[in-house]
Amino acid sequence: MALEFKKTTAVARDLLGVEDAETLLEWLIKHPRGRVNLSACTHLHASNLQVLMAARPKISAWPKDRALADWLRAALTQ
Amino acid sequence: MNPLLDQFLSEGRDFLQSIGERLLQLEEAPGDSALMNELFRLVHTLKGNSGLFDLPEMTRVLHAAEDLMDAVRDGRIPFDRPLADCLLEAMDFVATLIDEIAEAPGDAPPSTAHHASDALRLGETLRSLLQDRARSADGADPAEEEPPAPPERPEAGASDARPSALDPIDLPEPLRADLIRRLEAGGSFCWLRYEPEEECFFKGEDPVHQMLQLGDPLWCRLESREDWPPLAELDAYRCLLRFEAILDTTPERLAEHFRYVPDQVRFEPLSQEILTAATAAEGGPASTSDRAFSAEAEWSFDLVLEAQREILALSDTPPWLDGRLRAVAASLSAAFASVGRESEIEGLEPALQAAIETRSPTPLFAWLAARHPQPHAGRATAPDDDTGGGSDRIAAAPAPGEPTSISSSDPEESIRFGRRAEDQLTSPRTLKVDQVKIDRLMNLIGEMVVAKNALPYLAGRAEEVFGVRELAREIKAQYGVINRIAEEMQDAIMQVRMMPVSFVFQRFPRLVRDIAHKLGKEVRLVMEGESTEADKNIIEALADPLVHIVRNSLDHGLETPEARQAAGKPREGRLSILARQESDRVLIEIADDGSGIDPDRIRRKAYERGLIDEAELERLTDQEAINLVFAAGFSTAEQVSDLSGRGVGMDVVRNAIARVNGSIDLRSQVGRGTTLRLSLPLSMAVTNVMIVESAGQRFGVPMDAVAETVRVARSDIRTIKRRRTTMLRGRLIPLLALNDLLALDAEQIANDDDELAVLVVRVDQEYLGIVVDDCRETIDIILKPLAGFLGGLTGYAGSALLGDGSVLLVFNPRELI
Repeated sequence: MALEFKKTTAVARDLLGVEDAETLLEWLIKHPRGRVNLSACTHLHASNLQVLMAARPKISAWPKDRALADWLRAALTQ
Repeated sequence: MNPLLDQFLSEGRDFLQSIGERLLQLEEAPGDSALMNELFRLVHTLKGNSGLFDLPEMTRVLHAAEDLMDAVRDGRIPFDRPLADCLLEAMDFVATLIDEIAEAPGDAPPSTAHHASDALRLGETLRSLLQDRARSADGADPAEEEPPAPPERPEAGASDARPSALDPIDLPEPLRADLIRRLEAGGSFCWLRYEPEEECFFKGEDPVHQMLQLGDPLWCRLESREDWPPLAELDAYRCLLRFEAILDTTPERLAEHFRYVPDQVRFEPLSQEILTAATAAEGGPASTSDRAFSAEAEWSFDLVLEAQREILALSDTPPWLDGRLRAVAASLSAAFASVGRESEIEGLEPALQAAIETRSPTPLFAWLAARHPQPHAGRATAPDDDTGGGSDRIAAAPAPGEPTSISSSDPEESIRFGRRAEDQLTSPRTLKVDQVKIDRLMNLIGEMVVAKNALPYLAGRAEEVFGVRELAREIKAQYGVINRIAEEMQDAIMQVRMMPVSFVFQRFPRLVRDIAHKLGKEVRLVMEGESTEADKNIIEALADPLVHIVRNSLDHGLETPEARQAAGKPREGRLSILARQESDRVLIEIADDGSGIDPDRIRRKAYERGLIDEAELERLTDQEAINLVFAAGFSTAEQVSDLSGRGVGMDVVRNAIARVNGSIDLRSQVGRGTTLRLSLPLSMAVTNVMIVESAGQRFGVPMDAVAETVRVARSDIRTIKRRRTTMLRGRLIPLLALNDLLALDAEQIANDDDELAVLVVRVDQEYLGIVVDDCRETIDIILKPLAGFLGGLTGYAGSALLGDGSVLLVFNPRELI
């Protein structure tokens, strides 16, 4: 499971696939103040990115992969 | 080039040809729905085929064409000229791609990404046609509809893709400065905008992945195209992203990277102008190129005028002088217009008229001299240094002028793209030839062989009748040469007729799968040696028997998974079909690891059906019993299924194989499986026969039936049960006289030692002696089957012409006995 839900944080690991977007969206709807930890995430499918862009949760940790992090920052912090 | 691609290319050309024809026919008869269906089917198939390869450009255009035709087929839009033009252009584009792929070296199809913009434009033209027409067909007045503008030239398409002023990128100032500096240092950067279509996730695309693969951007922006709806209503799978980036890369690489979605990306190389333009809002690119042409244009202008001057200086007066003068006038007018001196053209027309009337170039010369005095030596081209070869100069002159007139980055591209079917540059490497023509060629070579065989007779006559030994030897030498050439010709034509057995084999995977499924069996099919080749006739004759054998194996041979498991075998049965070449024969082996054939059951069945009597029932060996399955009317199946068991079984198979001079061998072990081995000649065209003599006539016997020829003393022949037999190397051989078999009223003649010539033939693994008067040489002949009334004579395999002009009847030992 690429997504693991803690009490207030969703932790993404490895690859967030296209199916995970739905799960992530549901969790973010239920937890409007939830945080997302992407530090162990190596790639996320664009659909997940859309969810994050629409929900704008607080990102508690950015991916370690610099290229991915750059794009995510561009999308989520501007 | 791999065979699949090869076939696609050659088929593709055929398809395009047919599509072109249909389109033209449809123009004559727009209402012909059968024709339209045919056309749709062709385009549809071609599109499907192109999808097998990595050719998105081709598939895109064909897909658009297919949609358009679908609409026409349904009567949603009418078929007319402009529509046909568009489709024809699309097909020309596809032809260009096919040619390009065919010319490319290497195995894999080359990338056709550089055509992406053309493909995009054509696709859009076709689609817009579809929409416009659909609308006008629904709406009021179709007459008002303007014919769709002919599609723009590719160079226009390329410049059209230029983003509308790159909407001033608000780059951070340090980055902008850095970029300008690096551009000056010769770097190349691209600005890119990628807006994936909304359904892209459903096509398995991941835009983020696409972008990440491009490497680190110097600058990037990622936003949504619309405002996000409230989370509860968000559809995560409707893509609304917009990616923008500045990348350290080339447009070519981007085109290649996004070749599957060219309509969703825009990119262009960054230039200093763009970067500065973003700051200085109004300073468009126009100002930069204002006088840019002047130096080069002036040089070209001089060259053009110089060329015209040379033409006018020609002193001859050909019948086409008028045309030449007009051409010069047109060139001059165009040249002056291009450098902005339109006002000076006015005097040109009267000068031209005067020139035509007087049939002399002088008035034009005068006009030109007044406007543009002869340039001095030392200009771009030194006119003094070339004394002759004026025409060379004319041809060479316009070349450097190109940059002013054509703005395309690649003029060669547009030339190729504009070509039509009639100026096909490359001719296909494979020919499709009607089989009749090949057959005719083969018959001719056959006659050649016969004619060639007459030469030794001639040599013999020269020596014996006319006594010219020298000449006889020369004829023989010449015969050797002709013989070699004829054999090579024969070999070559055989090669043409050769086909791989895969032609038959390719249907088996499907057949086996379906039948196994129907019977509830698990079967693994193993095929080997599909590339083994044999004559087309042989391969075709093989098709039905093989299908029958495979069906038999599946139906009777292989057991159900449960039965197999109970017998300690893997659940999955194995059916192998192997083909290989062995000297001049093709061997095909069909083996299964099923239950095998039980000889006792065969004996019983054969007895029940009255095929054998009780004595035989006792006497038959197991192998002989198994061979009974080849007897006519034999079937072991208790029930007639739709697969097998109708009693038209293995005897039909055997006859079909025998008809092409093949043999069949069946081996089986109970519980271990069955193996059928077919042996077929590589080719039927040339038959090696032995000539025998009987009752003063000559007959041929196919060599593959002849086991040996022996002389048997009359005293060694014994009569057993009124049949004559002899012992040959410890084996009892029954003897039959050929004269009796052919109902010739003569005794077989023995030689001086009272020995009879016996031809031992092998029929179905049994040996039989045929007594003849004499055995002669063996020769190669072209066997012609007996036709017409004689066709019913099964005792003969056919006839052949001999070198001395006589006809040789070749008998078929199996049928004769």
